[in-house]
Amino acid sequence: MAGPQAPLRQSLEFRLSASVSALLLGVAMVAGLFSFVTAFEEANELQDDTLRQIGALIDRNHLPVGNAATGLPDLDSDPESRVVVQMLPNAGGEAARSSATPLLLSADLPDGLQTVIVGSESWRLFVTTLAADTRFVVGQQTAVRDEIARDGALRSLMPFIILIPILLLVLRDVIRRMLKPLNRLATDLDGRREQDLGTLSATGLPTEIRPFVAAINRLFSRVEQSVSQQRRFVADASHELRSPLTALSLQAERLADTEMSSVAGDRVASLRQGIRRARLLLDQLLTLTRVQEPSAMAASPVSLQQIFRQVLEDLHPQAAAKSIDIGVTSEQDANILLAETDLMTVVRNLVDNAIKYTPAGGRIDLSVGVEDEGVVVQVSDNGPGIAPSERALVFEPFHRVLGNDEAGSGLGLAIVKAITDRCAASVALDYTDVAESRGLRVTVTFSGSRRNAGTIAQR
Amino acid sequence: MRVLLVEDDRMIGEAVQAALLDAAYAVDWVRDGQMAIDACEIHHYDIVLLDLGLPKKDGLQVLHIVRARNDAVPVLVITARDAVESRIQGLDLGADDYVLKPFEMAELLARMRAVVRRKGGVAGPLLCNGTLSLDVAAKAVSVDGRTLPLSGREFALLHALMIRPGAILSRSELEDRMYGWGSEVESNAVEFIIHSLRKKLGNDAIKNVRGLGWLVPKHH
Repeated sequence: MAGPQAPLRQSLEFRLSASVSALLLGVAMVAGLFSFVTAFEEANELQDDTLRQIGALIDRNHLPVGNAATGLPDLDSDPESRVVVQMLPNAGGEAARSSATPLLLSADLPDGLQTVIVGSESWRLFVTTLAADTRFVVGQQTAVRDEIARDGALRSLMPFIILIPILLLVLRDVIRRMLKPLNRLATDLDGRREQDLGTLSATGLPTEIRPFVAAINRLFSRVEQSVSQQRRFVADASHELRSPLTALSLQAERLADTEMSSVAGDRVASLRQGIRRARLLLDQLLTLTRVQEPSAMAASPVSLQQIFRQVLEDLHPQAAAKSIDIGVTSEQDANILLAETDLMTVVRNLVDNAIKYTPAGGRIDLSVGVEDEGVVVQVSDNGPGIAPSERALVFEPFHRVLGNDEAGSGLGLAIVKAITDRCAASVALDYTDVAESRGLRVTVTFSGSRRNAGTIAQR
Repeated sequence: MRVLLVEDDRMIGEAVQAALLDAAYAVDWVRDGQMAIDACEIHHYDIVLLDLGLPKKDGLQVLHIVRARNDAVPVLVITARDAVESRIQGLDLGADDYVLKPFEMAELLARMRAVVRRKGGVAGPLLCNGTLSLDVAAKAVSVDGRTLPLSGREFALLHALMIRPGAILSRSELEDRMYGWGSEVESNAVEFIIHSLRKKLGNDAIKNVRGLGWLVPKHH
């Protein structure tokens, strides 16, 4: 999906989560506020009703209220539940504060519910007139009432407070799960090798994404067409070049057989050398185009020791001509599941390279080992080696190490890379002698290859 | 020896024909597949050099038709196609060997000799690698014009190596050739015999490839 450096803001997952969460929180807040206010008012009304009912109860049953000390039993233990019932003083009179009349109230309070400041406290009072023209009041402290109402209202908020975080977590998970097919698609694309232009599967993908996948698939097939067209062109061109080059080579060979002066002989020799080089380049070009195509050859377990032997039989004359001591240092053998020509081409190109860049009298070692990560093939020489900064470049086609006049095609390592890329192997370059920074050691690791026990016969 | 050269490219054809004449072969050169089939019917050839990319009839078709007539003439395929593909198709259809374009005349002549010799049945009594020649019947080796006798084991070892000069044989393969079934293999016998052969033939006559075995070099 978006690269690691892309801002979080551009992530669909983040944007979806954020906007849905914000929406959810907004709705929850409005709903919470509404339910709080309603519950608060409801609780206050309920308590007003209670005051009214107490008043009616006293009125209807003619319960003695009196001016005297016959107030409701003192329930000071719980001040929240305290309701005060007392007589109002007669009009004009001011009753003194006593235990029966805890509130100093004026006589001209109208009948009904009202909120009155008594002393410094706010009280909710219900005033009733009894038949005998006496009036009494049922009262409750406002602060206490509010507290009860607030408690009730807060309790009505609880579900929101508990459910919202859970909802947010679930939401994030749901969104992540819905975007999973997209992530999988991206991983699939990322993990592909560049030759793999097969169609992407649209199964399990949301309908909205399918058109994109279809478009990518169409692009793939167009790219594949043009790539294979180019490769075919290179292959055809190389083929077409073979015939004139063959004729040229044969004529030069015949020319060399005729009698001529030694100067002319030298020139013919260098002419033939040039033709040989063109021939080699052509062969390597064809090999490169072949290994860049998806493999058509059946893979079968191939013994590396056998490959070493065939390659050294082929290349021993070249090594002997430079007095290079070439040999195999491992006594182990291993099988690799690969087309024999491919494995042969890899080893051959590496050894060929080593012979070219190793000075006369040098040494080249081949080895095979079975390690945890797979079968490891190493070709080490004691030539100049390749500096770390150059190592990535040498796999490019036609890259040549500067200051070297060896007549290579410049394709050897590119071919090795193409083959190893195709069969999920890896190539690494290092110095043979790391301390001295000398010698090239090429390590090819065939991961997941079949190991094969067995030590070959001694030498 | 009479050679049928089937090659449509004029430049190559001329060059090969001239080189074959230089090497004292009698050459008939045809330039398409149909003429090649007709020529094979009329004349007896010792070897056919067959290019694969031909007008009228493809080289592989020619090979198929010739072989279908039970004609066992040695056929050396010359191809500009990819090595692997040609090897499989050509050898399946009954070609005796193949040479990849571009080739050198020396290589073509060597392959021709090898094919003719193989078809002739018996490997010659003389095995050569360019410097040594081993007389199988007399169990003697010639080097630089000198003929030297060989002991039984020396001959067995050198014979094994000389059957295919340039091929690497491991110690156990050499021991197999030197000792019969059930006979005791002495340790270091291979090194000992190679040492004595080198004393007779020169140090470079038999080369060691570290970790793999020994070979006699192939010289053209």
